[in-house]
Amino acid sequence: MSATRTVLLIAEREVRQRLRSRLFVWSTLVIALLLSAAAAAPAVIGLFGTDVELPDEPVDPEPVAIAVVGGLAADEQAALEQALGPVELTVVDDVDAVAGLLEQEAISFGIVPGERVLTAATSGFLNLRSFEADRAAEALGLLAALDGDVEQVGTVLGALPLTIEELDAGDVEDEAGRFLAANIGVVFLFGVLILYASMIINGVIEEKGSRVVELLVEAVPVRWLMAGKILGLGLVGLGQVLVLFGPPVAILLVTGGEFVPTGTGGLLGALLLWFVLGYALYAVMAAGLGALVSRPEEAQAVLTPANTLMIVGYFVGFFVIQAPDTTFSRIVAVVPFSAPYAMLVRQAVGDPAWWEIGAAIGLTLLTIVGLTMLAARLYEGGILRVGARVRVRDAWRAARD
Amino acid sequence: MLELHGLHRRFGDVVALDGVDLTVEAGELCGFLGPNGAGKTTAMRCAVGVTEADAGRVTIGGRAVDLEARRRTGYMPEERGLYPRMRVHEQLVYLARLHAMSAADATASADAWIQRLGLADRRDDPVEELSLGNQQRVQLAAALVHDPTLLVLDEPFSGLDPIAVDVMSDVLRERADAGVAVVFSSHQLDLVEDLCRTVAVIAAGRVVLRGDVRALKRASDRRLRLEIDGDDAWLATLPPGVTLAGRRGEELQLVLAPEADAGAVIDAARGAGPLLGVRLEEPKLSELFREAVNGGDA
Repeated sequence: MSATRTVLLIAEREVRQRLRSRLFVWSTLVIALLLSAAAAAPAVIGLFGTDVELPDEPVDPEPVAIAVVGGLAADEQAALEQALGPVELTVVDDVDAVAGLLEQEAISFGIVPGERVLTAATSGFLNLRSFEADRAAEALGLLAALDGDVEQVGTVLGALPLTIEELDAGDVEDEAGRFLAANIGVVFLFGVLILYASMIINGVIEEKGSRVVELLVEAVPVRWLMAGKILGLGLVGLGQVLVLFGPPVAILLVTGGEFVPTGTGGLLGALLLWFVLGYALYAVMAAGLGALVSRPEEAQAVLTPANTLMIVGYFVGFFVIQAPDTTFSRIVAVVPFSAPYAMLVRQAVGDPAWWEIGAAIGLTLLTIVGLTMLAARLYEGGILRVGARVRVRDAWRAARD
Repeated sequence: MLELHGLHRRFGDVVALDGVDLTVEAGELCGFLGPNGAGKTTAMRCAVGVTEADAGRVTIGGRAVDLEARRRTGYMPEERGLYPRMRVHEQLVYLARLHAMSAADATASADAWIQRLGLADRRDDPVEELSLGNQQRVQLAAALVHDPTLLVLDEPFSGLDPIAVDVMSDVLRERADAGVAVVFSSHQLDLVEDLCRTVAVIAAGRVVLRGDVRALKRASDRRLRLEIDGDDAWLATLPPGVTLAGRRGEELQLVLAPEADAGAVIDAARGAGPLLGVRLEEPKLSELFREAVNGGDA
């Protein structure tokens, strides 16, 4: 029997055994169902007509609550009204009192006349600085510059807020959608790679611990065993990704219309690509390292190097989401261990050149080849040595060609 | 068929094999004996290619052991090994197919062995749900299912009840009769004596006794027990190769070298007085074993 047929036979057993696990099959189906339901929800809710009706006439604006230290001259109040419409002034003694009111959210902002405008500290993540405070500062500044001519202030302010036009409102939503997709992609990829690395190592340890491997190596070269196991579990993983994400993405594409970020299908393709490459990268490491131990409780300890690379890649992925096209992001997106996450993110929210994607794929493939040779040797040297954990050096020496 | 030539294997400072030579012919059923730690398991693992020897070589059918030869070998490891969660029939079919059997042949062979070994009602149960005895039967089936021409079984009888021992014995004898070379290790010397035509005894990593059981017995000292109603004067004229080993009451215990003539000794004894009892005993396999092992240590 040829190597290919033997490897396929081993892979087939892995697939069968995995699909025989009711927990695995049912949990996958239930999650797929939930994801599909979530994907279908916007369309279903849309059927009940919950679109928000906007009023035709603008309603009377609420007065803007402002604290003033000391008090405010009449022209200053008039200028503020020019800028903001009706205002509700609270006179306070000092800046501390303004801070207290800001903390209670009782006022929009405070004023120290002739000096400054006070607002609450803004969040660094989202810029929520008060638009009203900006307008007030402009108005009071204009009032001073225009020698107290309130009318003039009104005219200038009327001309000032230069309308801000969002060129294509769709892009903003699109970007938000892609941002969300990148986040989900990174989390999912990490979860699935961790899961399958642990499946691989547990499978290796089961064969080693149960000694069935002694029967297997008699009939099959150990490298074929490793290849069959990785291929089989990889096919299960690929199938699981398709079952989990195929239906929801299809539902979104059919029902979502403008809601769906452009290129969602392409993103699913990128996710599949980086699942396959990331899986190969980590699965060979898991197989090679797994052959060094004999007991399931040793699995996590021996997997630490692979898990560390995976976790670093994962966090790098999140970093890249924030700034997908910086030099750092462009580098980590082609470095093999972070590429599955970082390039996936750049393909979702960044703008990688085709050669960058090619370089990431090529370098990852090269690393996979190198790691496979390394892992096969560890596997060969470690798989028959039951008992205490085998040192890498010993496994390396034991595998003599 | 199976030939081990000068196998050496060390594990750190421990010498497991120190030049093991052993040949097992097609149709031979050979008991492989030795005290604990003598190197039986290591030698068998080298024979099937699970362990690599540091020096020496293994040939099967005159050729170096390649994948093809290994696939024609059935192996039962000392530490039993099967997929615990895999079903009996499915597991046997899988193992047969890994040994290059077609799917149809593998299915038929798995069915036949399940029937033969009395596992029919556990055919589709996961191995881990079987009793240890039944797991051992599955393990034997796993060694046989691909119709091997060489069987290497490490302690196949350990842990078996008497009925299972009979089944295992029948199967091994039947396979040897069918032309398969069978070598198995065991500590149950009586069983080996009943079952095997040939034995090999290994001690401290070397084969110290090898051959046909009957021939080995004939080539060893025999024990002659005599009860005589007379005096001991005749003992002064014992023929060459006969020595007095001891006396228990009226019974004299004589040890006869292989070439010594038991009839001549008995004739001489009859001259001393009426014989009350005569018993000529061949050595038991266990005695040959002890002698070989202790001699090997010396």
